[in-house]
Amino acid sequence: MNGYVEAGYVVVLGTLSTYGVTLVARERAARRRLGAAPNAVPSQVPAESQELTARGDVSLVKRRDSGETERGTDS
Amino acid sequence: MSTPRTVPPRRAAVMLRALGVTAIVGVAATVWLGLFVTPPDEFMGNLVRLLYVHPPMAWVAFLAYGIASLASLLYLWPRTRAEHFDRLAGASGEVGVVFTGLTLVSGSIWGRPTWGAWWVWDPLLTTTALLFVLYLGYLALRRVPGEFHVRARRSAIGALIAFVDVPIVYFSVEWWRSLHQAPTVLNPTTHKTYVHGSMAWTLLLGFVSFTLVYIWMTAHRYRLAKLQDLEDAEGLEAAIAERRAEAVAG
Amino acid sequence: MLRDAVLVAGKDLRIEIRSRVGLNQIGPFAIAVLLLFGLALGPDRQVLAPASAGLFWVAVLLSTVLAVQRSYAVESADAARDGLRLSGLDPAGIFLGKASAVAAQLLVLEAVLAVGVALLYGARLSGALVLIAACVVGTLGLAAVGTLYGVVASGARVRETLLPLLFLPVVAPVLLAATKAWDEALSGTPGRAGGWLDVLVVFAALYVAIGIAAFGPLLEDA
Repeated sequence: MNGYVEAGYVVVLGTLSTYGVTLVARERAARRRLGAAPNAVPSQVPAESQELTARGDVSLVKRRDSGETERGTDS
Repeated sequence: MSTPRTVPPRRAAVMLRALGVTAIVGVAATVWLGLFVTPPDEFMGNLVRLLYVHPPMAWVAFLAYGIASLASLLYLWPRTRAEHFDRLAGASGEVGVVFTGLTLVSGSIWGRPTWGAWWVWDPLLTTTALLFVLYLGYLALRRVPGEFHVRARRSAIGALIAFVDVPIVYFSVEWWRSLHQAPTVLNPTTHKTYVHGSMAWTLLLGFVSFTLVYIWMTAHRYRLAKLQDLEDAEGLEAAIAERRAEAVAG
Repeated sequence: MLRDAVLVAGKDLRIEIRSRVGLNQIGPFAIAVLLLFGLALGPDRQVLAPASAGLFWVAVLLSTVLAVQRSYAVESADAARDGLRLSGLDPAGIFLGKASAVAAQLLVLEAVLAVGVALLYGARLSGALVLIAACVVGTLGLAAVGTLYGVVASGARVRETLLPLLFLPVVAPVLLAATKAWDEALSGTPGRAGGWLDVLVVFAALYVAIGIAAFGPLLEDA
């Protein structure tokens, strides 16, 4: 009987820990790619790029277009 | 279009860290109490210990689903449309699918010695199984390529199509099951057992702790989504420019 | 809206009559499914006959996936989908039209499947009124959900495995309720099917309404 209880706890805790760790790891990797400091949370769309968008900056629009076709490969 | 969060970045990180620590402590306490301190049940013996884990999993599974649906609704509603609702829906969806899977597994592990079978067509379990597949479909839909707002609107509609289905599924299955006699003395459709004293507190602690785990995970998944969106939409140069601005601002 | 619906339904049905894909491919597919079930569950009619209702409706569900995919495949030739969007037709009308065309084809298919089930599984088709009612209302619900998901799941960059994944779990209640209704009818107690028919009606009404509301935005984004 007890085997079931242990199995249940191991599976639940193991899965949650693994998922939690992968979340943190994915976040760190994404941050590294952006080149931001580890604990900084970007809290809003940067004012600079908002302005660029408003001005219809062509280069930014072009970059967004090329970024879109990659969107489907979200992990 | 996205409304700036009012919590400054460093404080948010600290709060999140504190939340994570609290969640881990809560879970650890639940496990300790559940496995060692609480007494075995009169009828179920030690199997009752799984009931400190399985119901919280189910609760979180449905909570995550509810939040994903609510966020989707808020995104679709023009007055409250904002990018963060779409990200929240996606984050809650991914975390939710993990908890839903764990609900099924923990329920199955509890069910095998209790009912003699790895699976029974209990209304709650069956609805959860369907919920699991609905979640997976929703996550697959989110991955269909497209511009942010196109994806967000499409995913939100998909979420709502699935959301209204869940009550219909539940009541249909419940009625379906009620037409057949419950075969065992211990009615498999009843997850109730007489819970008292330390068992009740442990169960409550379990619910609270795993809810905190859900919040922590969803917050991190949300941040990840935001980072990915930044990566895609703004490009590397804009992100570097933002970091420079942050360093200047202190 | 209704005028546009009739227009679109007519177009889809005319395409079907001319190309006969439903007749030549979806129909045989459904019959193959029935045969495969027969092989899987054994030759014993004691096993097959009671299972007829469920097997019938599973075959219908799977065929609906094909029918929906076909419904949208006819649009992708010559960028007809853009034409649909720009045509100025009311999107709700397009939705109703496409869903109706799919439903009509499915109803014909179901008639064939009913004969198949009677023949292959030895089911006695009693309670015809209930059988037909369940078919009509159930199919409406299936067509509505299918058409709704079909518009997002049939884009150029979308994998064709997305539609079944989205569609089948959502229509599980239709499978359940329609099977139960058919069970009651087939076992000579059609009176007890009332509640299940209600479930089918609620489902169909709900998803037709959602379709009318949500098809426009989904079509724009597709």
